[in-house]
Amino acid sequence: MRIETRKLLDKSFSGAGWISVFLMVAALAIILLPIAWRGAGAFVFRATVEHRRMMLELFGVGDPAEVSAETAAAAEARRPIYDMLARFRAELSAMPVADRRRMAGRLAQLENALRDLLGPLPGDPIPVLPRQRYGQTRWDRALKKLETVLFRETWDYSDPTRMGRKVMVPRAEDFKGTSLEPFFADVKMRVADMLRPKLAFYWRFLTDESRDSHFFGGIWPEMLGTIYLTIGAAMFAVPMGIISAVYLTEYAGDDRLTGALRTFIGALAGVPSIVFGLFGLAFFINTMKVSQSKSVLAGSLTLALLILPTIIRASEEAIRAVPAAYKEAALSLGAGKGRTIITVVLPAAMPGILTGIIISMGRAAGETAPIIFTAAVSVGDPLSLLETLSQPTPALPWNVYNMCTEHQKLDELRHVQFGMVLVLVMVVLALNVAAIWLRARISRKLKG
Amino acid sequence: MTIEKVEDRTAASSDKAAAAGAGSRDIRARRGLLLSKNVAFRRKLFSWSSRSLLLLITATSASAVMFIFFYVVKEAIPFFLQRGFAEFFLSTRWYPSREPPEFGALAIFFGSAMVSLGAALFAVPVGVAAAVCLSDILPFKARQAVKPAIEILAAVPSVAYGFFALVVFAPLLQESGGKILAACALLFFVPIAVLSAIAIGGMAASRLSRENAGVWRWIIASVIAAAGLAAAWRISASISGVQISSGTNAMNVSLILGIMALPTVISVSEDALQAVGRELREASYALGATRAETIIRVVIPAAASGILAAALMGLMRAVGETMVVWMASGNSAKIPSPFYNYLEPVRTLTATIAGDMGEADHTTGSARYHVLFAMAACLLAISLTCNAVSELIARRARRKMAGE
Amino acid sequence: MGSSISLLGMECRGCAQELPAEIRPRISARDFSVYYGSIAAVKRVAFDMPDGLITAIIGPSGCGKSTFLRSINRMNDLIPRCSVSGSLTFDGHEIYGPDIDVIALRQRIGMVFQKPNPFPKSIFDNVAYGPRLQGVRDRSKLAEIVERSLARAALWDEVKDRLHDNALGLSGGQQQRLCIARSLAVEPDVLLMDEPTSALDPRATAKIEELMLELRGTYTIVIVTHNMQQAARVSDLTAFLYEGELIEFDRTGTLFSRPKCKKTEDYITGRFG
Repeated sequence: MRIETRKLLDKSFSGAGWISVFLMVAALAIILLPIAWRGAGAFVFRATVEHRRMMLELFGVGDPAEVSAETAAAAEARRPIYDMLARFRAELSAMPVADRRRMAGRLAQLENALRDLLGPLPGDPIPVLPRQRYGQTRWDRALKKLETVLFRETWDYSDPTRMGRKVMVPRAEDFKGTSLEPFFADVKMRVADMLRPKLAFYWRFLTDESRDSHFFGGIWPEMLGTIYLTIGAAMFAVPMGIISAVYLTEYAGDDRLTGALRTFIGALAGVPSIVFGLFGLAFFINTMKVSQSKSVLAGSLTLALLILPTIIRASEEAIRAVPAAYKEAALSLGAGKGRTIITVVLPAAMPGILTGIIISMGRAAGETAPIIFTAAVSVGDPLSLLETLSQPTPALPWNVYNMCTEHQKLDELRHVQFGMVLVLVMVVLALNVAAIWLRARISRKLKG
Repeated sequence: MTIEKVEDRTAASSDKAAAAGAGSRDIRARRGLLLSKNVAFRRKLFSWSSRSLLLLITATSASAVMFIFFYVVKEAIPFFLQRGFAEFFLSTRWYPSREPPEFGALAIFFGSAMVSLGAALFAVPVGVAAAVCLSDILPFKARQAVKPAIEILAAVPSVAYGFFALVVFAPLLQESGGKILAACALLFFVPIAVLSAIAIGGMAASRLSRENAGVWRWIIASVIAAAGLAAAWRISASISGVQISSGTNAMNVSLILGIMALPTVISVSEDALQAVGRELREASYALGATRAETIIRVVIPAAASGILAAALMGLMRAVGETMVVWMASGNSAKIPSPFYNYLEPVRTLTATIAGDMGEADHTTGSARYHVLFAMAACLLAISLTCNAVSELIARRARRKMAGE
Repeated sequence: MGSSISLLGMECRGCAQELPAEIRPRISARDFSVYYGSIAAVKRVAFDMPDGLITAIIGPSGCGKSTFLRSINRMNDLIPRCSVSGSLTFDGHEIYGPDIDVIALRQRIGMVFQKPNPFPKSIFDNVAYGPRLQGVRDRSKLAEIVERSLARAALWDEVKDRLHDNALGLSGGQQQRLCIARSLAVEPDVLLMDEPTSALDPRATAKIEELMLELRGTYTIVIVTHNMQQAARVSDLTAFLYEGELIEFDRTGTLFSRPKCKKTEDYITGRFG
């Protein structure tokens, strides 16, 4: 081959490498950006007056006088359309029977759509479920609901050779010629007056309990559950991990036994996470009976096993990296082996060990499979410390799964789902960034 | 050479007195040089027992894997005793909740294999190329910038990947899957066509004639490139018509699993590439090889076993992953038709365990409960074997590096 | 004193000082060998290190001088497959005897290493490490010990205002003096110095040497050095080791001016090593 060709191929080879790195970074961005963008929507959004009313009534947040004034103003704005509905109902009773039945059906549909948008109509009994007690609390959702008020969705099957087509029929046409005809233009024009959207920063998403299975409120039970599980896992795994690492680095001889121990610990790192979950169920719950059924304790123990190999490996590395000179100095000052390890080796290795601990805590916080059978439930109250011994808990990773696959209204709660994923990812990334920072500091320190 | 000995000056006898009057000399209040039998014994006992305690704790951590294996197998055995092996491994009929139930898991095994293979098909080439880039091509600064990205990729929880696959990626595939596939195909085939045209043109020209080689080269190259580009265009055009009926399918999952396996593949194979060392690279450069030739002919062959171990570990990560496949694979226990159709939903071992245990939990002791442990046992066997093999490969490679 | 130093026909400080009339050996080796596996690093050496004096061990690198030094306070115990034979006594006790308390031994025989190795702790904590090991908890007493030790190591004035700064922030020479202070805080009888100035610049070296001469008399000092001028400057007695064997042991002045062995002469005149 000619030299130019070779050079060109060399360049394109480098190009392929660059492309792979770019692909990786792009994949990361493509996955994280929608989560970050839409997740932020759980915290910062245009909130309607319904949101403020709900926050006041369910969570006691906000200025009562201000909210009631605003509610009154909104009610004032809504009155004309409710009056229109009342007038139409009166008109309805005067209609011929066939028309009346048809129109009554359409009216019921319309009223339901309106209830979704603005909350219960005047004269409705107060609903039991909080989600029906309030109109749309978020302006973006309200605009979607406005569509269902203005349009009726039907399917067009007129062409038998193709799949059905969705058609949006304006409800104004349904009510053509009645007193309700100007209703729709009016709603469309003045919906902002009726709902009064304002930019809201809902930081309490992190610390509010959820109401009516996440329709309202925040994700505190999940946060707390994740914190419990993570700290619990670290509590069991850290002492065992550090002790094992100390034994393997400082005490173990170079014999068969040590080799076997290392092999087993390595194998533990390769066990699929779902198998940890099954084992947790079969061993901690069914055999050891650490709790009646799922509990934070059982979940923590299971997660502890999962992160144990990581902690052992990180601690071993950190201990190995402690200069032998420190050990010699301590010994020459008359410290025994145990004393040397506790007073010199472990403190010097601590940043490295901490890095490993933080990374594995991030792992424990994000793992779902091990807690499915051992700790997680979909709905639950925040637990007290004592209850963690016997009670299951909601947890961020599990509830992300649950909310986007099993929740009955999963399409309406995308903002909560994205918010939850964002929080989970941020928690895990924050832990990892802390670890990276710590490691950078160590290497700076070692360089002097 | 010697200097006469003077009387023993040890403070052994006066130690206790010194300890009592510790005020005067803080440090002299110390033990004698000689250990009494008693103290020696106590100290030996203490050191022995603390050492044993440490060993015990270490052994406990290490034996966790044995415990896991034992319990999973223990719970799996009743299933095989009840239903035998043939149905589980050979039948594709998975109807655990019917009466009578059927437990044919072949389709599920197939689904696991399919998504893992798909993941490896993405992760191994991209991962190895990225590792090569990181270890040999990228300047130091850029490498420092990319490293955290890899760590973040590894740190993002699997449920977040699953959420992305289900909520963002699946609808996208369902809506405009054909166009996405076509764009990918175009992006993949066009560079290949151009590169191979250049390479073949160069080779052919140097064979054909000495004179006018430059002209010949360009003619041949452009003909081949044109043909290749036309073919790429045709392929992508035909793909763009594809309708994806469900966004939660094997391809979606494979791609996401591939992305998840990337950090493992990259870091393990980068280690292997780094271990090759400067000397070998310099030897090749000194002979006039380009960087690409050095890497392909010298570095990669020398690091082959490490890269193989990396691929295996990436595969293992994909096999053992639960949340992504549970959320986004469609969970249909059928072998797709045709069997290589990645656009159909599949079901994997991990997702079956996660999904069915919720229902089987109440019926502890039934075949429906134990069959999940049978799957877990298979999963465990696969991953432990993979682990052992990759360990073996790595160890062999290390020995080879140390000196053949 | 303070005269220029030349190697041959020397007039150096160490040997200018008169040796005391009665010399009491603090540490004596008899037929003492150290093995790494089956290889003998120190072969049947025999000499005494007298009380209150400075004994230098010189020799080319790899001659076993460090190995010998480290075996005096049993630091070689850390090295697997390291074994000894013969007799090595400290105050008449067999150092490798079965009933010896290694920890007490190391408290009595302090050591300063080739590279300064302060702990990554504060200056105060570094010096207080040894006393704390022995159960001194009282803050004021610790402060007193720290001050005394640092003063004895001629470091107090330089660090008294920053006792709680990290010791790794000190210069190399200061770090080494800190290590000496740390050893002194345990109040040892013997100070072993393993090429204590090889990682330091000439000025720091001079300071350390000065310090050694100040400590002479109070402590028994054994110093390993590959720097012959240093041995000549500071030591009272010098042992020359070559390939693990003791070639010559004598008063420093005698050894450097009238070596008995050809090998010693070759070494100190720089023909090898």
